[in-house]
Amino acid sequence: MAATAAVPRASSKTESYVDTKRRDDVRQANIIAARAVADAVRTSLGPKGMDKMIASANGEVIITNDGATILNKMEVIQPAAKMLVDLSRSQDAAAGDGTTTVVVLAGSLLKCSLSLLSAGVHPTAVSDALHRLSIRAVDVLHGMAIPLDLSNRDALVKSAATSLNSKVVSQYSSLLAPLAVDAVLSVVDPAQPDIVDLRDVKIVKKLGGTVDDTELVKGLVFDKKVSHSAGGPTRVENAKIAVIQFQISPPKTDIEQSIVVSDYTQMDRILREERNYILGMVKKIKATGCNVLLIQKSILRDAVTDLSLHYLAKVKILVVKDVERDEIEFITKTLNCLPIANIEHFREDKLGFASCVEEASVGDGKIVKITGIKDMGRTTTVLVRGSNQLVLDEAERSLHDALCVVRCLVNKKFLIAGGGAPEIEMSRQLGAWAKELQGMDSYCIKEFAEALEVIPYTLAENAGLNSIVIVTELRNRHAQGEINAGINVRKGQITNILEENIVQPLLVSTSAITLAAECVRMILKIDDIVTVR
Amino acid sequence: MGRNNDRDGARRWRLAADVETRRSDKDDLVAVAETIKNTRLLKDEATEEKGDRARMASFVGAMAIADLVKTTLGPKGMDKILQSTGRGHNVTVTNDGATILKSLHIDNPAAKVLVDISKVQDDEVGDGTTSVVVLAGELLREAEKLVNLKIHPMTIIAGYRMAAECARNALLQKAKDNKQDPDRFRSDLMKIAMTTLSSKILYQDKEHFAKLAVDAVLRLKGSTNLESIQIIKKAGGSLKDSFLDEGFILDKKIGIGQPKRIENAKILVANTAMDTDKVKIYGARVRVDSMAKVAEIEGAEKEKMREKVQKIINHGINCFVNRQLIYNFPEELFADAGVLAIEHADFDGIERLALVTGGDIASTFDNPESVKLGHCKLIEEIMIGEDKLIHFSGVEMGQACTIVLRGSSSHVLDEAERSLHDALCVLSQTVNDSRVLLGGGWPEMVMSKEVDELARKTPGKKSHAIEAFSHALQAIPTIIAENAGLDSAELISQLRAEHHKDTTNAGIDVISGGVGDMENLGISEAFKVKQAVLLSATEATEMILRVDQIITCAPRRREDRM
Repeated sequence: MAATAAVPRASSKTESYVDTKRRDDVRQANIIAARAVADAVRTSLGPKGMDKMIASANGEVIITNDGATILNKMEVIQPAAKMLVDLSRSQDAAAGDGTTTVVVLAGSLLKCSLSLLSAGVHPTAVSDALHRLSIRAVDVLHGMAIPLDLSNRDALVKSAATSLNSKVVSQYSSLLAPLAVDAVLSVVDPAQPDIVDLRDVKIVKKLGGTVDDTELVKGLVFDKKVSHSAGGPTRVENAKIAVIQFQISPPKTDIEQSIVVSDYTQMDRILREERNYILGMVKKIKATGCNVLLIQKSILRDAVTDLSLHYLAKVKILVVKDVERDEIEFITKTLNCLPIANIEHFREDKLGFASCVEEASVGDGKIVKITGIKDMGRTTTVLVRGSNQLVLDEAERSLHDALCVVRCLVNKKFLIAGGGAPEIEMSRQLGAWAKELQGMDSYCIKEFAEALEVIPYTLAENAGLNSIVIVTELRNRHAQGEINAGINVRKGQITNILEENIVQPLLVSTSAITLAAECVRMILKIDDIVTVR
Repeated sequence: MGRNNDRDGARRWRLAADVETRRSDKDDLVAVAETIKNTRLLKDEATEEKGDRARMASFVGAMAIADLVKTTLGPKGMDKILQSTGRGHNVTVTNDGATILKSLHIDNPAAKVLVDISKVQDDEVGDGTTSVVVLAGELLREAEKLVNLKIHPMTIIAGYRMAAECARNALLQKAKDNKQDPDRFRSDLMKIAMTTLSSKILYQDKEHFAKLAVDAVLRLKGSTNLESIQIIKKAGGSLKDSFLDEGFILDKKIGIGQPKRIENAKILVANTAMDTDKVKIYGARVRVDSMAKVAEIEGAEKEKMREKVQKIINHGINCFVNRQLIYNFPEELFADAGVLAIEHADFDGIERLALVTGGDIASTFDNPESVKLGHCKLIEEIMIGEDKLIHFSGVEMGQACTIVLRGSSSHVLDEAERSLHDALCVLSQTVNDSRVLLGGGWPEMVMSKEVDELARKTPGKKSHAIEAFSHALQAIPTIIAENAGLDSAELISQLRAEHHKDTTNAGIDVISGGVGDMENLGISEAFKVKQAVLLSATEATEMILRVDQIITCAPRRREDRM
């Protein structure tokens, strides 16, 4: 990356600070570095955007179209360029989608700021104008927004599909989009209809099959085998499930201990005692009617031993071991049960119930599925499949984006047209507004309004269309009042984008413009880079 | 030297003295000078600078520091990127003078003095950290000119002292106090907060944040203990979504299977190990001869834990907050008893929590009656952005509150926190010392005018120094104007003309780019801040001026570890 080398890091032992650079040079270097980052992801924008292959230092290869992922892996050093990486991360956190858009937008705004600065405009004037612009732009977007009813599943599916269309897995969008919608809607709590916690949606990846085989599981899926070293059951119906946090193995005290064996008979006795001890525990478990055990991983001692597995298999208890501690909350929430930390507390009222627990073989591995859970909590699991690790990872990232899109819609129930329509409309209305203003603001806003056209321009360019023709026609159509006219990349022409079902959540667009403006303003206000401890 | 002169003088009378002696004497002198030069007083690597050179070194160092932060002054001041050379090359973007100076590598001793005054300013009043350094820098710049004119540093110092005293009196006379009128006082606070914030990142939302800060500070009811105002940063959303919440928010999770909402909570805050009470004697171990006994001991350990939990529950609590981890077993016991247990709260968290709920931090549980429990009306889980937090409302200590900052990135959040902290400091100081001044370069012009008058009345060389002081004061509005890209020479002369009238509120209106009425624009500053800037800048200047020799000690030699 040439950009990172643009500003050499000057630091020597005797220098107390670096003040040799002229302020404008610093600003210019920052802007150029940040734009280089934006240019790097530019080609991945839109449904016909290209993917990037990233080879990380440890030899791992990632193929992705997701702006946030690309930037995250780029390992940028230049501070201003780093800010753009943070920008895409913020967009990921705020809206989950539009991570490329926000960076491209910021890049274009920076380019425009640079020309304004070289024309002699004071950076704070540019920054103020940008702030006014972003507020106004959000108003314009609100004006274009279409209210949405959550019961309108079609609309939700459409917007999830728009998000998926630019990904590697776009051909599966008809499958993944409804899946994402169902997943999110099933975890919405009727008591708090505006809040979705995406942690309630668990994504389990399993290599093998194709993305087509991805499914939504009403229940729980573990990417683990049932432990059947001792020939225990692999399928249990009418399961009574216990989540245990204690160990079924010979006792071990926290204080150091040793057993003194002085003769042969004692050895026999100890072995017998060990058997009895474990048998006692297993009997207690069985007594409650439990027939499925989920055992938390333990680092202090073995969670289960061969012996205990043997006994558990004898009493027909299905065992899943090595459950991570941080998964416990999700599991207990889903199964509507309580974790059990001591054998003494093993009571029936702490168990969860499910109609079926079974081990299924998927691809080369096996998974455990728990379905038909009684009083299931508001969680859901998506089992993602893919033919190779790269596709699988990308499918997961894409699905995450789609989930975020649906979440955005649940938070803020408005849709907006896609395909560059909002950007052109913003550009047009802001351009008109600039004419009403006076002074520096007017000049800057006019320039920035034009800079917004970068999105439709890039969309067209990435799709191999004649971008100038497309953008000018788009401008023309919007001037005539067709506010929903946008680029139809499939057909290669301008159409009413709403009829093509290309919609996205309002939140994605508004947060993209406000975040991009905020980031650009921050970069503009910097006039020095100081090396510190 | 003196003795040599005497000898020379004496010799003049003895005209008959022969050339031989003279020559040998001269050789003597040279030899003495040689020996002085060659005698090492100091260690090898130690250096020494004297007189003019030393003074120049400190002037240059101090002015360079002042110039570095100069551009951050005023509402249109710029930010700096601080790039750390440590691991990860962390990046901070800031406008806060103290933060910038604090993190610099500095070798120059005079520069260090300036960094120190900025730090002290930060601790004392919280704001004006840039102004104080800039003013000291300007005072030194003026002093340098005077020194070049062969005015003795002590004379300059005397003049500066008089000028500072005079300037302070001028401020005292002009300061207004609205403490008696709560409405006006509140509006004063709002103005001060807005003025402080206007030079920061929160500029665009300054009204919102000024209100947050004023509300938070007024809740404190006069105490300057900012501890009870907690600031939580959560990425996501925009700055405008930040809010003030009465009560306390803990960034932790509630244990599994425990109540998520408790009314009239009785809280026990503790710092105790919730795994097992181990025997702490080294090498202690249990020796048994059968499995059953191991099981017994394990059971006993469990039993001990159960007793401990029972003791805790016996305090009659329904919420238990521990600094250390709570393991699965006790967690389950708490869940069974319907007690809400929060594990692994950080030091800061529990100390604050103990403070605001009015409880003690306990570590033994044998005497329930001697432990003071904390109380609050309601504990519940709330969601901010994507994270779940625990919210304690209706706490014992009414003045406690939490400000939740939202922002697009961690840079924005960190800077917002620093800015808000500045505003809170200033406000809490103002609540105690409620005198206010106008802002926008107004106080500097007022002081400058008074100091000028004084210069005219003062006879002697000191008047030069006093005049220089007045110049230095004017530099602050000049820099504010320059940073805003305005024509500073023009503005300052206009401003000076305005101030020649007896009462004026004229200052620099950065937004419109002209001279404006500060009263109408609502730009105010705390008297305490201005006074601290004036006095500590003068003191620092005096200290640096007094220096005529810099001795750098030899660096301590490190053992070669190769």
